[in-house]
Amino acid sequence: MNPDEEDYVFYGTPIEREEEITSRKKKAVAESSGHLRSLPAWKQEVTDEEGRRRFHGAFTGGFSAGYYNTVGSKEGWTPQSFVSSRKNRAEVKQQSILNFLDEDEKADLEGQSLETSLEFDTFGITATELARKQAEKEQQQRPSAIPGPVPDEIVLPATESVGVKLLLKMGWRHGHSIKDSRANLLYDARREARKAFLAFSSDDAKAQFAESEPVQGDLGSFTEQPANDVVQSYQSTPVYVLNPKQDLHGLGFDPYKHAPEFRERKRSRMSGKKEPGNRKAYSLQDNLSGLKSGKVAPGFGIGALEELDDEDEDVYASGLDFVDTYVQEVEEPSRLMTDSKQKLVAKEQGVLPGFRVASSSDYQLQRFDAPVIPKDFVPHHKFPGPLDTSYKVADLPPPEVPPPEDSNLKLLIEGVATLVARCGKLFEDLSREKNQSNPLFSFLTGGNGHDYYTRKLWEEQQKRTCQQKQQVDGKFSSHMERMTSESRGRILGERPLDRSTKDSSSSGASAEVIHLQINLSDTFTKSASFKSGLPEVVKPFQDDPAKQERFEQFLKEKYRGGLRSTDSSGASYMSEAARARERLDFEAAAEAIEKGKQGKELSVQQFMDFSATGGMRFTSGGVEQVKDTEAEDLLMKKIFPKREEYQWRPSPVLCKRFDLIDPYMGKPPPAPRMRSKMDTLIFTSDSVRAKKVEEPLTANRDLFATPQFDVQGISEDLNNKETEVDVEVQNVERPVDLYKAIFSDDSDDEGETTSLNKVEDPEKKTEAATTTLSRLIAGDFLESLGKELGLEVPPDLPYSTNKAQTPASRKESANTDAGDANSIPVKNKPSSTVVRTPVNQEVHCDLEIAQYGRSEKNELSYGNPDRRGREHMETGSSEKKFDEVDPEKMVPEDKRAKALSSHHRNLNSSSSSEDGRTRKSSRRHRHRSSDSNSDSSNDRRDRYHSRSKGRRKESSRERSSSSRKHSKHHKRSRDSVARSRHESDQEHGEAKRGKRKNRD
Amino acid sequence: MSVSDLPRKEVNVLKGHEGAVLAARFNSDGNYCLSCGKDRNICLWNPHRGILIKTYKSHGREVRDVHVTPYQWVIVFRDNSKLCSCGGDRQIFYWDVSTGRVIRKFRGHDGEVNAVKFNEYSSVIVSAGYDQSLRAWDCRSHSTEPIQIIDTFLDSVMSVCLTKSEIIAGSVDGTVRTFDIRIGRELSDNLGQPVNCIAMSNDSNCILASCLDSTLRLLDRSSGELLQEYKGHTCKSYKLDCCLTNTDAHVTGGSEDGFIYFWDLVDASVVSSFQAHSSVVTSVSYHPKENCMITASVDGTIRVWKT
Repeated sequence: MNPDEEDYVFYGTPIEREEEITSRKKKAVAESSGHLRSLPAWKQEVTDEEGRRRFHGAFTGGFSAGYYNTVGSKEGWTPQSFVSSRKNRAEVKQQSILNFLDEDEKADLEGQSLETSLEFDTFGITATELARKQAEKEQQQRPSAIPGPVPDEIVLPATESVGVKLLLKMGWRHGHSIKDSRANLLYDARREARKAFLAFSSDDAKAQFAESEPVQGDLGSFTEQPANDVVQSYQSTPVYVLNPKQDLHGLGFDPYKHAPEFRERKRSRMSGKKEPGNRKAYSLQDNLSGLKSGKVAPGFGIGALEELDDEDEDVYASGLDFVDTYVQEVEEPSRLMTDSKQKLVAKEQGVLPGFRVASSSDYQLQRFDAPVIPKDFVPHHKFPGPLDTSYKVADLPPPEVPPPEDSNLKLLIEGVATLVARCGKLFEDLSREKNQSNPLFSFLTGGNGHDYYTRKLWEEQQKRTCQQKQQVDGKFSSHMERMTSESRGRILGERPLDRSTKDSSSSGASAEVIHLQINLSDTFTKSASFKSGLPEVVKPFQDDPAKQERFEQFLKEKYRGGLRSTDSSGASYMSEAARARERLDFEAAAEAIEKGKQGKELSVQQFMDFSATGGMRFTSGGVEQVKDTEAEDLLMKKIFPKREEYQWRPSPVLCKRFDLIDPYMGKPPPAPRMRSKMDTLIFTSDSVRAKKVEEPLTANRDLFATPQFDVQGISEDLNNKETEVDVEVQNVERPVDLYKAIFSDDSDDEGETTSLNKVEDPEKKTEAATTTLSRLIAGDFLESLGKELGLEVPPDLPYSTNKAQTPASRKESANTDAGDANSIPVKNKPSSTVVRTPVNQEVHCDLEIAQYGRSEKNELSYGNPDRRGREHMETGSSEKKFDEVDPEKMVPEDKRAKALSSHHRNLNSSSSSEDGRTRKSSRRHRHRSSDSNSDSSNDRRDRYHSRSKGRRKESSRERSSSSRKHSKHHKRSRDSVARSRHESDQEHGEAKRGKRKNRD
Repeated sequence: MSVSDLPRKEVNVLKGHEGAVLAARFNSDGNYCLSCGKDRNICLWNPHRGILIKTYKSHGREVRDVHVTPYQWVIVFRDNSKLCSCGGDRQIFYWDVSTGRVIRKFRGHDGEVNAVKFNEYSSVIVSAGYDQSLRAWDCRSHSTEPIQIIDTFLDSVMSVCLTKSEIIAGSVDGTVRTFDIRIGRELSDNLGQPVNCIAMSNDSNCILASCLDSTLRLLDRSSGELLQEYKGHTCKSYKLDCCLTNTDAHVTGGSEDGFIYFWDLVDASVVSSFQAHSSVVTSVSYHPKENCMITASVDGTIRVWKT
């Protein structure tokens, strides 16, 4: 404060300075966080957020509490989470004063609290504790209903009531009646006195009693007690000891009813065996009791205080009525007596009283000899089946019956008969049961052909038994033994006709035979096929004379020359798809015939050819010279229906929705299985691959896609196919061609070109609708491209120019800075470079030349547009290669290269807009290009192949669907165009990069 | 069941579709039927009285298949509350039956969807598409993504059947594939002929597959064995339905010449065939309990047949 400020009078409270407040705040924070925490709870001060200590006044009790003067906590009023009182009932808590005391108070209280020590606790807790312990002790001594120690919770012995205590004090003992308490009391008292006296007088006397005279003592006790209680009811409260039932007798049955001695023996044995401690206790008790009662020896006299009573006479008269008391004992066995007896028995070492162990017994264990095995016994089980057959052979032969007209039935019967002869009657029963409903098998149950069946069966059995006799060694398998036409043929060296399901694929004519084959075992299918095959195959298309005619024509052509032209046997009115299918049929039939006639001459090639195409099911006829090593696999696949099993992983959600447990729960995902044969084909040679993948699917589409729901569609398609082919190839297809020429996948191969135009005919109809659109797009693109290149592209180019202006040629035009688009052919470019550069690796030369040749071919058939795109890429890459090889040679080509690079740049910039759409493919491509950068240029060709393979793998599926889809096709092709364009651009960029590096 | 019990008497002609009717289906108790066709509509009928109850319009292309939520044993009431349909617009529509509103649309198929089915609990729609895939769609969640895509088929999937734990589908690649969810196994039965339509017998032991070689084939589901073949009709280019009668005694199916054929299940003989429509019979559906059948045809009519 300034001194001059003292003159002023201040009203009100001054506004506190900012720093003061903040410092206090800081202090508060420091306190709350720092040392206050270390203080004990009651020393801590509660302050508000500004560090002030608040006083709340008298009523509310001192300084502020809670959380900043609220009753809440730091967390605030957190509502308790709801707990259902239905399940969790609120506990009624026993509250004691300790609950309300603080810890220090408790500590104070501890010194003052009174507790009863154990010894002085006459009632309450300690008393019950004692009682329990006692009960436990007793528990161990007596057998209980519950084996093992009884838990305290179950058995809670009550403490003895005051009355009992009083009684006990007055001399009453447990187990005694209170009725004649006087006598008892007197007796007890006297006994106690006697006991005391005994203990007092001499130890040796006790020992004497214990050792030598137990029986006597016992007897004495017995004589004493009955004498005391004339009514025999001294046991007022019988103690029920629950004896657990340990024997196997029925309830209430007492095996020792009339022989109690045995019971004792048993018990002794049991107790001796099981619980020696227990037994000891018994004996001790006995001893005690014995002492109690038996200490009454004559000569001790009566104490001075004792009254002279009749009991005293009893005492002295002990032993007099020994006999009759003993008899009484037998009638009513008491526990005491049994106990003493037990002891006695134990002494006698396990022998019943009055019995001795015999020195020699004439009991002898009788032994029986094992049964004698008859000499002719053979330890093998004979099954009834063969027995049955051999038995049947002995029967009279059934009459000869002409076979049924139905050759199938006849075959079936023969087959079954053979099988039955071989496998026994069991098989017959089985098959009868199984095919009860099948009308074909009615001969088993006595229907059509039953007679023939029995006859056949008899013959087979006859044959079999004969052979069994002849060839005991069983050199031949049974089905070879019968002399059928088949076996005869085999002996003669004929090749059996292997007719599997190719017939089913060929036509439905011989399908029944195949079903026989499926139904029956293969032992006789061969004969079946052999017999029924030939006549059927010669005229496989009897139902359709026109077809048969065509087939014959086909055969003629086939056999005349080794090679057939692709358009050999086609009726002009047939669609391509139908023709393809028919050719398949013909092929199959021809194969069958060929094999049947000249089995050995069957060329493996042709056979495999057929099987490969047949296996694909929908192969068009255009491909027939496809050879493949996997043909055998496909051949094996031809028995239908064929069941295959794969692993399949349902998604967990699906399992949940179906209310099932996920079978793959917690397991790692399985490796993706090979999707199809298509994939395996991908890794075969390139030429095969193209046809394999492409053709079936296109044919497929024709077969099944179009006609599904479109009545008019079929006829339209059929008409259009014929009419539109020529026109459209020239006209409508052009813009698409252009796209493909520039950008399309390089995976399309040359083998496809001719057939593609034919097969895709129906597509052209739909494509015709979109022609204008694609033309517009193409025009736009060209225009923009031209602008970027600084060229002038006429907006409405005629198709021919459009077509001819492939990127390569455009590149050429860029190179020469000339506007003429269609003047220089594609092939000139790379070849000219080759010529110009003498230093070139041979591989490249080869590549170039190959390209050259191919491009020439392309020029001839412009139907294949995509090769040009590929060529385009190839030229780019080859140039790059070239540059890499000898940079010094680049000088004369500098100008061209520069132009090229600018062209590439333009292309790249134009393609960047497409990036979003084709990001995936570009990523793939980038990866690849980085590969190719690191690779040496020598294996470029290989890489190219592998790359195209990979791409094919990915795109085959897509193409298959896209090529089959009309409406989809357009979009798809555009997509692929975009992608391929991008790829080619990338390629160019790559080439450019390489070039620049070289130049530097 | 004798031949005279076969539904051969025409009771009603349901006219309402313009253009071809592609499918007609009874609901699970047989009181109503649904039909769909090239006119992009789905119609709900009472076939016994011949009344058109409701028309559902939302599809952008032809509707190829329709299925209504089945009767559920678990829930006491009969559940006909939802229906699903599919078609040329590559979508599966999930409808509310009473209001006629589309609850959800499932997109994802890359081609036309040929068949749809609800599962037993109506919680999943399984669709079979031209894009060679089966897709399972979840009706319970709000996700419109398929919960399972099965694309092991080599060609268009034409028809699908569901059991409690299996998805069975027939494809043009000639296979009938059984996907057992419980075991996690795929069984592929190659029939060698493009499979058009599959139907399960009422005892669920057999699968009837209609093949494009004009043959119906009866397969044993457990062994994959070919039990019987039924021939006589024409089925070469259309998707024609086939089914078994309610007693499993006969097999019935349409033909491309407008006939309906009845075969004996056991001996495969044609017990009855008659001209039912003037054009291709695309769909047949048999009443679950009575001797009643509905047939749909390209001629735009649905006919109800009784004994």
